[in-house]
Amino acid sequence: MDRAHRGWKQGALGLALVLPPLLVLVFLIVVPAISAIVTTLTPPGGSGPTTSFVNYAEVLATRMLRADIGFTVTVTLVSVAVVFLLSYPLALYLRFTRTRATAILGVLFIVPLFVPVVIASFAMITFLVNHGLVSTILYRLGFERFPRLVYNATGIVITQVWVNIPFAVLILGAGLQAIDDSLVDAARDVGAGSLRTFFSVILPLNITSTMITLTLQFIGIFGSFTIPYLVGGNAPQMLGVTMTDYLTQYLRRTESATLAVIAFMIAAVVGVIYVLSVSRRERGERVVR
Amino acid sequence: MSGPGWFWAVGALRRVVGLGALLALGAFILGPLATLLVWAFAGTWLFPNLLPEFSLRWWTYVLTNADVGKAIRMSFFSAPVATLLSAVICIPAAYAFARLEFPGRRGLLLSFLSANAFPKIGLYVSIATLFYRLDLMDTFLGVVLIQVVNTLLFMIWIPTGTFRGINRNLEEAARDAGAGPLRTFFQITLPIALPGLIVAALFAFIAAFDEAQGTLIVGTPNHVTMPVLMYALVLGYPQPVGAVFSVLLSLPSVILLLVTQRYLRAGYLAAGYSL
Repeated sequence: MDRAHRGWKQGALGLALVLPPLLVLVFLIVVPAISAIVTTLTPPGGSGPTTSFVNYAEVLATRMLRADIGFTVTVTLVSVAVVFLLSYPLALYLRFTRTRATAILGVLFIVPLFVPVVIASFAMITFLVNHGLVSTILYRLGFERFPRLVYNATGIVITQVWVNIPFAVLILGAGLQAIDDSLVDAARDVGAGSLRTFFSVILPLNITSTMITLTLQFIGIFGSFTIPYLVGGNAPQMLGVTMTDYLTQYLRRTESATLAVIAFMIAAVVGVIYVLSVSRRERGERVVR
Repeated sequence: MSGPGWFWAVGALRRVVGLGALLALGAFILGPLATLLVWAFAGTWLFPNLLPEFSLRWWTYVLTNADVGKAIRMSFFSAPVATLLSAVICIPAAYAFARLEFPGRRGLLLSFLSANAFPKIGLYVSIATLFYRLDLMDTFLGVVLIQVVNTLLFMIWIPTGTFRGINRNLEEAARDAGAGPLRTFFQITLPIALPGLIVAALFAFIAAFDEAQGTLIVGTPNHVTMPVLMYALVLGYPQPVGAVFSVLLSLPSVILLLVTQRYLRAGYLAAGYSL
């Protein structure tokens, strides 16, 4: 068998094997996304091939929906920031120390990964609710008044942090694992302090997994439903809950799809950064192989 | 000064920070779960008592509830079907991604990240508008498909990493000894890859089993799985009911993790996350 023929045969076999999951992907992600966009560009009651942005204008003119969009962006940014500020030191600690605490922390931080989000939200409610465990302990310690911790933005952020820490630490840690100890030691040897070493050696070397963490967290939290639904308040609410309400409670599919497309567009900006940083990494890996 | 301990250079500071972080993180991570567990065995728990009156009466209430039985059956029927379906279509593809050269290989592998590049709920809402047209709303197939979407990433990326990690020489030796490509795959490649595939299937199963938001939209009212029922229990029942059901809902994941932990420790999880 000549080489060209063999290569062609392998290519065809490869594509044939990859086709089934790809079809699922097309049917369940590409087609719905495109059909949602088409639906939202069709004016209500209109027929024919007219395209209009009237649905978008209507949604954006609704003050409640504008408030929800702003609320979603704010809560997402705050949650991502808090997750990041907690996860990076934790990932560094796990990577660069070998104490008994390291071993315990290494098991502890991963626990939320195996807890379904529904249960995590409910557990957080029982923990933080007025007359829950936290307020009981605070009361016993002599505090009479304390801020409301659930059924508002605070509750959403706390629960998002709880749920998202393992993912962030795992991805950041995977990146830190690839950094050679000798580079860090070299920086120390020429007199760089801990902070200096972090900002001029570790962070630049780990920039890909840092970007992946930030963007994945943003998109994940931005598109969340369960946590704001169970732990959030009534209004303003995050887009995930609003969208679902419009679809299943008010039976207004077009408005719901319009909100979904708006969410896609906000996430798309972030998603582009994500795909770019991942593909750069894939290419890097190919060079090494 | 050298060695990996550089980061917390001052010994005492390192110990204090380490201990403080450990305690704070421990309280933060385990506190909610502990509270939930206590609630599951509480008859009544009045403020400001630190512990409740223990009782098992909510367990009888939950276990004899007809909706609960129906949801348990639905979950244990749909999640294995979704995992199996996902394995059947994804594992050959993962092998192709790892071993075969074909046009667009890298781009297609990356395209499986797209499920993560969309805000989940927006995706489910879009899928629902499509399912309305195809009459897939409130059907078993619709529920399984929603669960399959959540398994794709695990079932493609972890097995691809596993197959890539297998030494090609072993396969080539088998081929040289006269084994055909299929025989080589089933007798050489598959047994070596099995632990990685088991980890992938485990994560796919947990992802399918725990899927709640998409199933809530697509499966209501007649195809309610355990996590979907959980929404109703959290919002409309006394706290111990949700707590008891949470324990039931976590059992499969916990059991699976304990059974497969020797594979997990071998680093397949990290391999999956390092992309």
